[in-house]
Amino acid sequence: MQKKLLILIALIFCGLQISLAQTKPWMTQLEVGLLGGKTKDLWEEKTNQRTTFSFSAFHGKEVIRNQVVGIYLGVDHYPSVTLIPIGIGWRGFLGKKSGPQFFGGLDLGYGSTVLEKVDRTDWSSNWHEAGVLVHPEIGIKLPAKRGNWALTASVGYKRQPTYYFEGAHSNADSKPKIPLFRTRDVLPKGFSSLNSTSILYHSLSVQVGILF
Amino acid sequence: MKNRFIPLLVILFGSSLLFSCMDEVNSTYTFRTMMPIYLEMKDVRAKLISVAPAQEIENPGKIYLYKDYLLINEPNQGIHIYDNKNPANPINLSFIPIEGNIDLAVNSDILYADNYVDLLAFDLSNIRNIRLVKRVEDVFNHLYQHSTGKIITFKDTVLTSESPTWAFETMWTVRPNMSLTSNMAKASQSYGTGGSMARFTLMDGHLFAVDASTLRVFDVLNPAEPKFLKPIELGWGIETIFPFDQKLFIGSNRGLHIYDASTPAAPIRMAVYEHVLSCDPVVVNEEYAFVTLRSGNFCVNGVNELHVLDIKDPYQPKLKKAYPMLNPHGLGLAEKYLYVAEGKHGLKSFNASDVLNIDKNQLEFIQSMKSSDLIPGPKSLIVIGPDGVCQYDYSNPAKLKKLSCIQVSNPIEVS
Repeated sequence: MQKKLLILIALIFCGLQISLAQTKPWMTQLEVGLLGGKTKDLWEEKTNQRTTFSFSAFHGKEVIRNQVVGIYLGVDHYPSVTLIPIGIGWRGFLGKKSGPQFFGGLDLGYGSTVLEKVDRTDWSSNWHEAGVLVHPEIGIKLPAKRGNWALTASVGYKRQPTYYFEGAHSNADSKPKIPLFRTRDVLPKGFSSLNSTSILYHSLSVQVGILF
Repeated sequence: MKNRFIPLLVILFGSSLLFSCMDEVNSTYTFRTMMPIYLEMKDVRAKLISVAPAQEIENPGKIYLYKDYLLINEPNQGIHIYDNKNPANPINLSFIPIEGNIDLAVNSDILYADNYVDLLAFDLSNIRNIRLVKRVEDVFNHLYQHSTGKIITFKDTVLTSESPTWAFETMWTVRPNMSLTSNMAKASQSYGTGGSMARFTLMDGHLFAVDASTLRVFDVLNPAEPKFLKPIELGWGIETIFPFDQKLFIGSNRGLHIYDASTPAAPIRMAVYEHVLSCDPVVVNEEYAFVTLRSGNFCVNGVNELHVLDIKDPYQPKLKKAYPMLNPHGLGLAEKYLYVAEGKHGLKSFNASDVLNIDKNQLEFIQSMKSSDLIPGPKSLIVIGPDGVCQYDYSNPAKLKKLSCIQVSNPIEVS
């Protein structure tokens, strides 16, 4: 199901790119960077610094001057899980296009756990889920001397809830279905108990990229 | 131009090193448990029991066939009444709300039903106007919590805790198929011809009721005036009772008890056939007793077998032959045909006329019909399974024909 959703979004992404290319100005921004934050150990009173990798692609069209709306797709690696964030984004630019510009951005989406394996035995199932991500950012755009492209650098804040579930099956002979989207603290059908660990990642994002 | 932005870049990247956010980590433990509920019987008795309109079945327990009526118990809730004149189209008539009800039996238009520690008698002669005619108080008194004088019952509940250890210390964490409701639903279904998992049964003007350790005898010669006669201790692990030919065949998880009930008011033990720890409903004909042993729930030995016992001499039952089964639950005997509910594996029919070759005479195996118990009724074979209560035309035991299914909204899990 998640795979189908991703394929659908990828198709929309490509379709939009083709359609936008034929009409109004469009923009693609590819960014790589780091996500930084601190994690408190659940059992011990100590904090650990985390720094992980992030990649994102934004593709949109200029709906009004200097305001671009589009689709957002990426890969975010966290210590416990690697997510494919998918959603919508906005970029707003300040200043003349010919020169360096400040820009602000906002990405809203859902963190897909399609890359994570569901660990199943006769007695238990362990799996990951993620929730809605919010990623505001500010940055600068430095246009290239030649060609229609630019370098970007940005910092932002990324909020990403993730969940890890460890469920015990009610019946060893029949593996219950894992619900696609679950409400926390509700026991899914076929499970006798569910251990749920939620980590809300508050990250500082630092990214560099190209824009064309 | 380039120089103007370099300091800004340095500030931006520098801030990323200096500034960082703390993640929020939480852990919860959600589990199914049985919450104890304490009740005062005087409060239970003070409630007026009035028959309610038909209700959807949530989780069926015992099924019971009487004349053209199909009665389906909703464990701890009450009894659904169906008009079953046409098994292809049973009509939901009404619901009798009875707290703490697990078992039922009907004798000459009088329905007997337990209400926690009390036995109730309802007049069914006018099915549109069912009336409570008698309450026999304090007969199933094993439910009393003697330290408090209250009764204790358990409610299947899902709880969430911040700490898994708390749950283990204070609650009974159970698998759902070990919960009270589903056990009662499975361990106590149907009475009468072929009923194999009944805990209430009628014979010779007497009502016999078993709980986990005790057989209770009621005089129901006057059906509307049941009188409690005596309790008989049987030992722990009693599960089912099956009457045949002035004898009571009582299934326990350690063996089969045979009682001479020719004097119904004072049954006398004839024999105990002991086997390994297992769950075992039983059905009987003149010569043989058919006992299913299964693993699962509290019966942890892993044996899944059909035992055929020679009971020509009821004082000395002998194992004739044991057949491997998948996970047999209830069973029913209709003349020479034997029907076995194989839990989640399905429903089997056999020609059991040659008891030494039952396995070679399997007639049909409907794997799609998950089943926990059945009644071979006069018009249809009534089968209860996780998906509902289904009825089959079994005029040809080799080709059962589905007539109808009553869907349930919260089906039991068949292990």
